[in-house]
Amino acid sequence: MPRTIKLHPFTILAIAVAVITMTTAASLWWLSCAVMALCLLIAGWAGHLKKLAVLSGAMLLPTFLSLLLIHGLISRDQSPAIAQWGPLRVTIHGLEVALSLGLRTAVLVVVGLLCGLLIDKHQLVAAIDLSPVPPQLGYLLAATLFLLPQMAEKQRQIGEAQTLRHMGTGTGLAGWFQRMRLRAVPLVLASMQDAQDRAVHLSARGFPATGSRTRLRTVPDSSVQRGIRWAALVCAVLGPMLILALAGFGSR
Amino acid sequence: MSSNLLLPDESSSQTLRRRLLAIAGTIILVATYLTLIITQPMGIVEGLGQGVALGTFAAYLAAAVLLLLAVLPDLPVSTLTLIPVALALNIILGQFVGSVMIPLYIDSIGTVIVGFLAGRRAGAATGVLSTLVWSLFAPTVLPFAAGAALVGFLAGTAARFGALRRIYLTPVAGLVAGVLVGVVSSPVATFVYGGTSGVGTGALVAAFSSMGDSLLSAVTKQALISDPGDKAVVFLVAALLVYALPKRLSGSFAFVRRYRVLGKRVSK
Repeated sequence: MPRTIKLHPFTILAIAVAVITMTTAASLWWLSCAVMALCLLIAGWAGHLKKLAVLSGAMLLPTFLSLLLIHGLISRDQSPAIAQWGPLRVTIHGLEVALSLGLRTAVLVVVGLLCGLLIDKHQLVAAIDLSPVPPQLGYLLAATLFLLPQMAEKQRQIGEAQTLRHMGTGTGLAGWFQRMRLRAVPLVLASMQDAQDRAVHLSARGFPATGSRTRLRTVPDSSVQRGIRWAALVCAVLGPMLILALAGFGSR
Repeated sequence: MSSNLLLPDESSSQTLRRRLLAIAGTIILVATYLTLIITQPMGIVEGLGQGVALGTFAAYLAAAVLLLLAVLPDLPVSTLTLIPVALALNIILGQFVGSVMIPLYIDSIGTVIVGFLAGRRAGAATGVLSTLVWSLFAPTVLPFAAGAALVGFLAGTAARFGALRRIYLTPVAGLVAGVLVGVVSSPVATFVYGGTSGVGTGALVAAFSSMGDSLLSAVTKQALISDPGDKAVVFLVAALLVYALPKRLSGSFAFVRRYRVLGKRVSK
């Protein structure tokens, strides 16, 4: 049973931004690995370890392979090659660059995905609604997150209906295009009609409303969390500058 | 008169604020792009390489968010209800295409449909929002928000100038949009990620790089091969889906009526 974290969604996001920016600026392999290990521990505690590992792996495997191709196998720096076959030239420096870039992306992916898994979508929508951003943003986020499973289900039902009619069973590119047409056209038409019906109801209720409103859902917050958020945002902006300045002085 | 009868008209200070936000967003985007192209920072992992990556990420994201904040309060309710549908279509149709190993992304059909029906501002907002929502599931797309906004903006521009009145013009508009989007997005791929995230695209970049191109040049050439074809198909599919809509539905959008987007298909 997954556990939930009783933190304001913006607190989680602010901490994540600070961690990503400072780890990227530091560019130390052991720090990146430590951050990812900590993320996996938190995911394990929250009951999302398998999901985080699978999603991260699916995204990072092609990224690492691509970076290995671009920097690791076709290195153009002047350092001595450890292997060379025709245009392929492998150097230690090239492999280090590929690994460094891969770890930079890996921290972003793992921390970002962990945020997505830890944050309750309902709480996020409520937090956006309570913040000073335009009210349309909260509606758009909420509507998208709740429409996604509905439309995915609708698409599945359309696919089943077309299969029962023995339609869209062709093979090759023509068969794919026919399947795409048979699924996409009813899905788009039905969804657009729903959207138009919804617009009439929202307009009749004066959306987007201005001024403050009472919400049934409250988002737990505290002065400590607000302090943490500010500190994290300051670290996200000033931290990388400080790290880069120190690295600059160190290299001189 | 206000588009919503229950709400007051907006004040001139609000309009000025939105214009300033839009101008600031555009300036940040253009300035960042030009700085990267002119200076072409050498090391992407050494020295200030990390700073360039963070700066590029932050500037492209900030520009997209500023443009979104400038556009969002201006959109009518009919467009606001259309945007979530478009975002869901981007994800669902993108997944369907991805599941059958066709070498296309087709992850911006919804954005292009909104651009065609509701105009370039709505299209740009849809592009940014689509990226922000998708980043909850794939964080690496976040700095590409500006590129996604450009897709929606160009779809609206193409529709406004009659690309949908003749079906053969639609893929041409898509090709042009793909070139521009590829050029704008390649600095992000180069300086933030050091290349691409796909093995096939990575092989292309490696091939160009082995021929002596700089990393930015190689990534841009790869983008110019991948993006125009993808956007041509997306524009064509989106146009066919818009044609399939009942006239009552497509004609309910003020943008479609005002600029005769579908020509004689929708009565004025």
